[in-house]
Amino acid sequence: MMSPLSMLLVSTLVFTGGAFLALLCCKSDRASINLSGIAGVIGSLAGLAASMPVLLGGQVLTYMSPGPFPFTQFTVRFDPMAAFMVFVIALLVLIASIYSFSYVREYEGRGAWAMGFFMNLFVASMIVLVAVDNAFYFLVFFELMSLSSYFLVINDQTKEAVDAGFLYFLIAHAGSILIMGSFFIFWWKTGSLNFADFRIAQLSTPLASLAFLLAFFGFGAKAGMVPLHSWLPRAHPAAPSHASALMSGVMVKIGVFGIIKVGVDLLGATATWWGILVLAIGAISAVLGVLYALTEQDIKRLLAYSTVENVGIILMGVGVGMIGMATRNPVLAVMGLLGALYHTLNHAVFKGLLFFGAGSIIYRAHTRNMEELGGLARTMPYTAIAFLTGAMAISALPPLNGFVSEWFTYQALFNMSHTGEFLLRFVGPIGVVMLALTGALAGMCFVKLYGITFSGNPRSEHASHSTEAPAPMVLAMVLLAIGCAVLGICAPLVAPIMAGIASSLAGTAMVPVAQGTVVFPGNTMQAMVSMPLITILLLATPFLPVIISFVFKGPRLARRHKGDAWACGYAHEEKMVLSSEGFAQPIRFMFSPMFRLREILSPSRPLNAGLEASIRGAASSEAVVDTYIITPIMKLAHWLGGWIQWLQHGDFRVYCLYVVVALIGLLLVVV
Amino acid sequence: MTILQSAILAVFQAAVLLLLAPVFTGISRVMRAKMHSRRGPGILQDYRDLFKLFKRQDVAPAASGVLFRIMPYELLGTMLFVAMVLPIFSLQAPVGVAGDLITFAYLFALTRFLFSVSGLESGSPFAALGASRESTLGILVEPTMILSLLVAALINGTTNLSSISRSIASGQVQAPAAMFLAFVAFGFAVYIEMGKLPFDMAEAEQELQEGPLTEYAGSGLATLKWGLALKKLVVASFFVTTFIPYGTSETLSIGSSVQAFVLFLIKLLAVYLLASLVENGMARGRFLLTSRTTWVGFGVASLSFVFYLAGL
Repeated sequence: MMSPLSMLLVSTLVFTGGAFLALLCCKSDRASINLSGIAGVIGSLAGLAASMPVLLGGQVLTYMSPGPFPFTQFTVRFDPMAAFMVFVIALLVLIASIYSFSYVREYEGRGAWAMGFFMNLFVASMIVLVAVDNAFYFLVFFELMSLSSYFLVINDQTKEAVDAGFLYFLIAHAGSILIMGSFFIFWWKTGSLNFADFRIAQLSTPLASLAFLLAFFGFGAKAGMVPLHSWLPRAHPAAPSHASALMSGVMVKIGVFGIIKVGVDLLGATATWWGILVLAIGAISAVLGVLYALTEQDIKRLLAYSTVENVGIILMGVGVGMIGMATRNPVLAVMGLLGALYHTLNHAVFKGLLFFGAGSIIYRAHTRNMEELGGLARTMPYTAIAFLTGAMAISALPPLNGFVSEWFTYQALFNMSHTGEFLLRFVGPIGVVMLALTGALAGMCFVKLYGITFSGNPRSEHASHSTEAPAPMVLAMVLLAIGCAVLGICAPLVAPIMAGIASSLAGTAMVPVAQGTVVFPGNTMQAMVSMPLITILLLATPFLPVIISFVFKGPRLARRHKGDAWACGYAHEEKMVLSSEGFAQPIRFMFSPMFRLREILSPSRPLNAGLEASIRGAASSEAVVDTYIITPIMKLAHWLGGWIQWLQHGDFRVYCLYVVVALIGLLLVVV
Repeated sequence: MTILQSAILAVFQAAVLLLLAPVFTGISRVMRAKMHSRRGPGILQDYRDLFKLFKRQDVAPAASGVLFRIMPYELLGTMLFVAMVLPIFSLQAPVGVAGDLITFAYLFALTRFLFSVSGLESGSPFAALGASRESTLGILVEPTMILSLLVAALINGTTNLSSISRSIASGQVQAPAAMFLAFVAFGFAVYIEMGKLPFDMAEAEQELQEGPLTEYAGSGLATLKWGLALKKLVVASFFVTTFIPYGTSETLSIGSSVQAFVLFLIKLLAVYLLASLVENGMARGRFLLTSRTTWVGFGVASLSFVFYLAGL
């Protein structure tokens, strides 16, 4: 049995190897797809094997090797949090690799080999990123992750994709600069770039707050929180679907991981207002994200906006956890972080599932526009069932996984509202209400997504001629759908593991969260819920009406399901049925100020203005260089040339004279 | 209580509510007829409707799929489940481990989700519009419902519904004014959830909240109508058992449970009569302006929260 660290190394090497093999096979797309897929499967299995012992055992493994410079000391710290991130990454990559065997064939001849290269590099960089314990390497791998995902975004080479990629590139690098600023503050005070030294750094409160704020907004740009989210709904949909799944399911979590890393791990969440800030931004992201998702017509854009929402929910948990740490309330700290981590895992599973579903729809119906779909449940039944499971899980409906993590977040907020000081008692219920509003909006959003896409009658030729997706793609979706159910029903088994990670992060003793089939938030008095029992009851109770209906049947005629829906006696037309836009119309009307807000807050205009200004600046600075440096140098050269020309008359006798003069000169020097 | 006893009590309680549900919708119909100065159907009319519908053929458009068919059973089943969670016969709910306010709210979200999807599933223009409106109402009612329940939960220090009603029943509420406002706000939310005017017109079914019923027929329609009747009853019972648990005792004995049950019926009747009075005294408004009305409910809930913070 290899140690987790060597497994981690194996995993990284396999991914890197897979990336370069895909590059080597650029002549044959098919071979490249298969090689990078196989590397993905093996690498992620190794990643899972590396993370499991640490997750279950809770130990911290470290490794250190000196680099050529003092700041490049390569240190690895594989703690439960890092193991958790590796687990989430590896889990989704495993499924994405299975999915990619069929899906990427769509891209044969359109750079499938490049996709395999960047995909594996992207994954490798994320896995190393979460385990390194040195700011220099952290930034290097962070950049590698941003760059490789940038190439995945622009893979289609359409104008839309290139524009989206450019916006992503700008915001990702703006974020990187903020993160560098934060690390710089640590380096300035400790003289080291190792996180181990950062942890024991004695920063004054204002300096620590500055470091936190820089990191929060830097990583927040990566996580896609409002107001730094605008790149996300453009960039994620532009990438191929399995890459979108990884970007939405995993990469945004690296942003959350970074916030936890700096705020909780390095700085120890010392000030209460940090947590309140994270909670507030999380709540705003959650509500606005889902509100904007609700009015989208493009499946993948809708899912990307919903990622903004879910990052918001995760950040709410992180915020509560940080407040718990700052106010020295270990139960609150563990509950908040537990909710956040659980939701991180859950979101990876169901958002992966939904993006894979979207990919299958695109693969078969060749459109992302919901208005042109409809009735897919009959042509793609397995995809429909899996997609419905994902939609219900993301709407936090019991007994699926989204419900459990939101339940813990609710309970953490309740705990804070109940036990905290006045400000926290004021903030907590606002958070609860925003979370409730988010839940209701998410329900409507995914009713729309599933209903308009899979139900009713097909609205286009493509939709009516679609067929079930190929087996590997269906397998990937079904596996994730099972994951949604298992993570929900088996909450009493999963929650203690999450609580273990949370308590190791918060540096507190283990808080009990499960007993038998019941999970509870630290104490059973506050609340408890039994997911297995809920599942059994939800599955069993519908049988009673079935029996009643059977008993009272009488001489009933057989079921007749055919013909069109009733339309007041007129002939039914597909145009009569509510469109996706019409479905969300009441919300657009009732929440219209929020939608105006989006126009006002959109960073595209200031960004474009800034870009134009910098181009203009570059153009004028070029002129400055011309006038004051290049032109004088040219004049000087010209002038010298003139003199040299004067020397070279072309007269043979003059040259002889030069030689004689030179010889005499040399003789004089020597003598 | 042993597990077996609670299981029996749970099933019994669900069965009682299931059987009672059509009576209460009957009462609503009678009340409405009286206020319209017309004769109207008898109280037991809904039973007759259900029996008739169960015998009829199940007809639906070709577009309707599996989800469309199983939704009525899932809706009724989920409502039976919620019925098991309520502390009706004693303050100890039969299925306490599923009885906190968040689980409760999300079980309703589950039925709303399936109800709306089945509306879209039928491919009918009316049903789709109904689905959109049903979901929208869910969004408008959710903040009020959660905030008022949260205030009650905070005052009593637990989100477990039986514990909340137990501590209200003990009469030692720390912030009575806040509790009262939470009670009013939750009553408002219950009124919307019961599908009443100006939010809904129960007998003009194609138009508003019951829009997804459009394409149902026969046994599916019967199950669905019964399920919606049970939903109304469960919401109202939830309201009375949580906020007015007076008269329900801690222990479970024959005498005390009969007393509790009779009082429970009287309280329910009062809620239904009050709801009918309000409903028939109201005009219907434009659906898109509903949010202006629901702000009132949310305002009351917020006020109760402010009162709670002030400790009143």
